[in-house]
Amino acid sequence: MIEVLEKLVHLPQRGEYMEIRLENIVSTTIRVQNGVVEKIRVEADKGGYIRLLTPRGSWWFESFQDWDNLQERVEKAISGASLLPKSDIEVVRKPPVREEKKVTLADDFRFKSLKDKTSLLLEYNQIFKEISPLLVSSLVEYRDEFREIYLANSDGSLIYWEKPDINLNFTATARKGDNIEVYRNGVAGKTGFELVKNQEQLAQEVGQKALLLLEAPSFSGGMYDVVLDPVLAGVFIHEAFGHLSESDALYRNEELKKIMTKGRRVSSPVLNVFDDGSLDNLRGSSPYDDEGIPTGRTYLIKNGYLSGRLHSRETAFLMQEEVTGNARTINYRFPPIVRMTNTAIEGGEPTKEDLFSDIERGLYAVEYIGGNTALELFTFSAAYGYLIERGKIKELVKDVVLSGNLFQTLDKIDAVANDFRWTEVGGCGKGGQMGLPTPTGSPHIRLREVLVGGSGND
Amino acid sequence: MIEVVDLLKKRGIAGDLFTQEVFNQVVNYEANVFKSYEKEERRGHGLRIINPEGKLGFYAFNRFSNPQEVVDRALEVSQLGDRVDFSIPTYPSTWEWEDFVDPRIENLEAREMIELGDYILSRIREDYPQVLVDVTIGAGREEKSLLNHHEEELKFARTFFEIGVTANQTREGDILEVYAERSWGSRDINIDDIVEEIISKLEFSQRVVTLNSGKYPVIFTPWGSLVLFLPLLYGLNGKNWVFGRSPLQNKEKKVVFSSLFSLEEVQEPWALGSCPFDDEGIITKTQRYLVDKGSLEGALWDLWSAAKRGIKPTGNGFRGSYRDLPEPGFSSLRVKNGLRDSSTLIGELEEGLIVDSVLGLGQSNIASGYFSCNVQLGFYVKEGEIQGRVKDVMISGNAYQALLNLKEISRNSRWIGGRILLPYLLVEPIEINA
Repeated sequence: MIEVLEKLVHLPQRGEYMEIRLENIVSTTIRVQNGVVEKIRVEADKGGYIRLLTPRGSWWFESFQDWDNLQERVEKAISGASLLPKSDIEVVRKPPVREEKKVTLADDFRFKSLKDKTSLLLEYNQIFKEISPLLVSSLVEYRDEFREIYLANSDGSLIYWEKPDINLNFTATARKGDNIEVYRNGVAGKTGFELVKNQEQLAQEVGQKALLLLEAPSFSGGMYDVVLDPVLAGVFIHEAFGHLSESDALYRNEELKKIMTKGRRVSSPVLNVFDDGSLDNLRGSSPYDDEGIPTGRTYLIKNGYLSGRLHSRETAFLMQEEVTGNARTINYRFPPIVRMTNTAIEGGEPTKEDLFSDIERGLYAVEYIGGNTALELFTFSAAYGYLIERGKIKELVKDVVLSGNLFQTLDKIDAVANDFRWTEVGGCGKGGQMGLPTPTGSPHIRLREVLVGGSGND
Repeated sequence: MIEVVDLLKKRGIAGDLFTQEVFNQVVNYEANVFKSYEKEERRGHGLRIINPEGKLGFYAFNRFSNPQEVVDRALEVSQLGDRVDFSIPTYPSTWEWEDFVDPRIENLEAREMIELGDYILSRIREDYPQVLVDVTIGAGREEKSLLNHHEEELKFARTFFEIGVTANQTREGDILEVYAERSWGSRDINIDDIVEEIISKLEFSQRVVTLNSGKYPVIFTPWGSLVLFLPLLYGLNGKNWVFGRSPLQNKEKKVVFSSLFSLEEVQEPWALGSCPFDDEGIITKTQRYLVDKGSLEGALWDLWSAAKRGIKPTGNGFRGSYRDLPEPGFSSLRVKNGLRDSSTLIGELEEGLIVDSVLGLGQSNIASGYFSCNVQLGFYVKEGEIQGRVKDVMISGNAYQALLNLKEISRNSRWIGGRILLPYLLVEPIEINA
């Protein structure tokens, strides 16, 4: 395939920038619900795209499934694209890269039988049945996926890499009358089958937690000092600041650029935030981004000051900044856009216990259901929480929603603990591209006087 | 693909082969600048079989090698599959139906789409030169077909036309984003209507006002009503009934909502969900009530869920794409409208909030109906006049409770995503945290 692509990337002759991506995705999805194998989906998905920036400065993008007749497609794209209107887009060009990156998995899921995979899930599902009759529904979801990606561009780069991904999720639904509580948790990684084995304890915890939530009172909204656990803190920084650091949010917005000026103080000085797609073996990692730019670490916030942002070739050119390797696509059906990779709040000095000790009346918010942003507004839902009284963790509460204005909230972070960890489960959606793996990392962090939503007072 | 079902027939295996073929072209404008033209061709197949032991198998593919391999993969899966209580339906041979294909969409040229985009951009920027406008215009054709082991075939094609406009106005400490969309099966989308919606939202947003926390009457716009509809759609999903996690199960024929509230599933021509049969080959009803004057009349059933409950399917088995097995879904929905215009409802509001869009849709406890969302675009109303836009405000409550506490439904309504026709809903009271 490389030989074919090598010839094609030299077809554009008028200064176009062109990318060709070919992708082969083999995946298995299994859902076991209430002891029943509800779905097994084995899928072979093959396709590709041609993306072309015309000399007149506008993009042509074409996705297809047929790998034959590529030359004809490229020729047609070049002539079709020449009819597009004039625009002002240009991209950063780079010296060519040639690389082939293959992956070896410890316990390769491609060689596991469907039967082995399904039996494991049935065993996990059985655990829920034994916990309580109040668990009316239990769901075990499994997915593995192996991608082979060919990327060639008019810089002359030719890259092949492989991307494995595996995840296992447990969802338990507990019910008493019209009171229904759903709790979910799981594991995910760029690993082999070993990750999803021996997760009996996690299944137990998921079932127990759903039952506990059934009895938990709804949280009363109001102003609180809040401690976020590493999972929720990671989602918070992803939602609240990460999305605003994606340069396509601001590269053509002069007012927003002023707000996001480098060197501006954007948070309390305890905060350091980075994005790093080059870390070993995290789900957001990759040797190159989907425009063939090597990934690396970009500090978004350093000691409270805005210090960097995330770029594609296009946004970097327009803003006259360095590329960062953050152009990503979920698959061949979509063009790469600016995305986070692995985003984190760096660990600090205090211990986790220190964060709680001087809170008179507060909330400990744990894990998440989801999050969302509209530039400066953000909102995210904790899976559950605990009240804090005089520094002690007390009663379990549910229906906890944190929401607010980004800059005001970042300034309220007054402590970052030393217990940093990554969370690999979950995905991010943007511009119709849903479920992109974007791990988040953080230690426990503390925010002072935050508006928290709840339903306990009605 | 006939060779696949032919092989099924020869080997005595029941099954159906679903094929989806999409052609789509899109033009994008970003921040007032023409950005891209995108073209997509997609075709794929999902083979579902029930093996001789009655167990379900499935295999999805977009590159066809030979029928043997495809059938073998599905058979392998079926050995581990669920023993199902339904059989693959037969299709009526004499029955006729219409495709919803508009040649004006099929033959739409990129040039025309660009002219439309330029027009939308210039109209908005005429009134609001300071805003940054994103426009996405999509047009295409989708064809679905089903072939069963009796070698019977069903085929249905539709065109689609989708326009989305976002206007962004950024000032220090205040980022405003307003959105409007129209989607339809034919070319007949009123462009000026979208432009006017954006302009009027910008107009009402220029003044930022504050309101105090408390309980207020709230008018949900058609778009804002999704806050209440997402939990309702979860509750109406037959699979959730089978698994015991819908608050609506076992409440059939009971009055659970306000008597003002009626919800119908309709096959409105050119609405994007409308179809003569669902993705399992079950013929859809032209009209049926899910909720009639507050009384729960039915739910959404695919073959699998209906069989588990021992009832007839309702023609609600839909697939997200060829790679998915059918799940309960809906074609097109319509909420029965009221007697008076939304402007009258607003004009009579002493004090309250209009909610047009929220952040965090679907992130609360959808199962129990509880919601708590940040209002992304909302307007404060006092003495019948819109005072301005509110910021940093959260609404919370329970969708089921809200639909029981409906005070009035507007006469005017709008199609959301081309699939749900929603009026304005006045609900009282809703908890607001400012």
